[in-house]
Amino acid sequence: MAAAAPWDKEAAAWSEEAARLVWGGAVPLQVHLHDADVTALPPPPPFLTLGPRIGYFPLLVSTIKAHFSSSLPPGVDTVWFEYKGLPLKWYIPIGVLFDLLCADPERPWNLTVHFRGYPADILSPCEGEDSVKWNYNNSLKEAAFIITGNSKNVMNMSQADQLAMWESVRKGDLDSYMNISTKLKLGPFEEDFLVRTSSLEPRQGSDEPESPGSVKPCRVPVRLYVRRVQQDLEYLEDAIPVSDWESVSYINRPFEIRKEGGRSYIALEHALETLLPEFFSSKPAARAADPEPAATTPDSEPKDSDTSPSTHHDEKPPPASPQETDVAKKTKLKLVRVQGIELDMDIPFLWVANNLKNPERFLHVCVYVSA
Amino acid sequence: RKFPPPSSFPRVRSPSAMAADPNHKKVVVNFQSVANAPKLRQSKFKIGGNEKFARVIEFLRRQIHQDTVFLYVNSAFSPNPDELISDLYSNFGIDGQLVVNYASSMAWG
Repeated sequence: MAAAAPWDKEAAAWSEEAARLVWGGAVPLQVHLHDADVTALPPPPPFLTLGPRIGYFPLLVSTIKAHFSSSLPPGVDTVWFEYKGLPLKWYIPIGVLFDLLCADPERPWNLTVHFRGYPADILSPCEGEDSVKWNYNNSLKEAAFIITGNSKNVMNMSQADQLAMWESVRKGDLDSYMNISTKLKLGPFEEDFLVRTSSLEPRQGSDEPESPGSVKPCRVPVRLYVRRVQQDLEYLEDAIPVSDWESVSYINRPFEIRKEGGRSYIALEHALETLLPEFFSSKPAARAADPEPAATTPDSEPKDSDTSPSTHHDEKPPPASPQETDVAKKTKLKLVRVQGIELDMDIPFLWVANNLKNPERFLHVCVYVSA
Repeated sequence: RKFPPPSSFPRVRSPSAMAADPNHKKVVVNFQSVANAPKLRQSKFKIGGNEKFARVIEFLRRQIHQDTVFLYVNSAFSPNPDELISDLYSNFGIDGQLVVNYASSMAWG
């Protein structure tokens, strides 16, 4: 059981700090009431609030509505938000929308709220918090399915736990969330390509990942949002705003952790090349192919896959060789953003996956590519 | 509604024929009714991998003449409507098809 190496204390402390930062993250919002919904003179001033990065827009509706209540037309509300003409998808976390749509972070983020005229051809129907909760629970089950091959860990949660977990997300209460979330045994992901789940026997990393035994290669749930920007874009503030969701590719591809050439860690760059081969022009379009030269120096690290407790956070990536840098330059990637952070391509992918994930266990990655 | 009419869904002929490009190959969707949801006369349909799950939802609504229907993949979870069929197939497909269970009321939360 040596593989059940303790997720050591220091790493755990780091992870907790990262989670606190992720959960504490918020986008300052300046919400304007859409002209057509204004029934009072003078029009109401915009409403300033903080949108939690891990939160969802429909959850802000009650406070926003209270602010605008005296100006609203009578009748039934169908609330939606818009940024520069683009209706915002309510099931995408606020932080992801901000990272994706504001190339150059705009603070406060100026949005328009509409109480009428729901664009049903663009947005799926939303019945307020219930819809968001449904979406959260189903995303969590989907992530669990990717990690363990089924959704049982989540489906077997008690009703009380399921409710408490949702409440913790809604309120941004990390401590309550952790109490329940750790019971699900959906991680953390470890570098010997295993994941700590109830359905997998922790084993030494000596197995072939392809072997039909009990050790399956582990999969990390990833949602990618690929936005195209001008080829010659120099300053992010010059990026042409997203005017249509069709111009954003929404890609759900789990990252499969395989043992390749004794690699002891997977750099973010390697993970992205594997996930999005179509945007790495120097690479043939094959997913999960052979070890890529750009990611690591095989076997030269003192640390092998089956050694020692994981300390994802403090590993130093090996220096990139000149050839590796060359490969990176050929990519069409302009920018990779997770939780508002522009990530260095050498950062260990599993650190990102373990520490910058959203509460429903998906890692949301915004990728800007040149069109 | 933005969705194309269901008639643009070709019926399954040979479920084995799959093109090489994972984004454009057709995916066989196998609809399974749950509890008292109306059954389909034919359960397998082919749909382009580059379509979104929303299209499957809309298609099924029309097929069973119900507006309220809950769809699940592998009796487990309901994908969001924007997920690509090709992604769902490569992530959760079993035996060459994507199993979609549907119910008239919430079956698996």
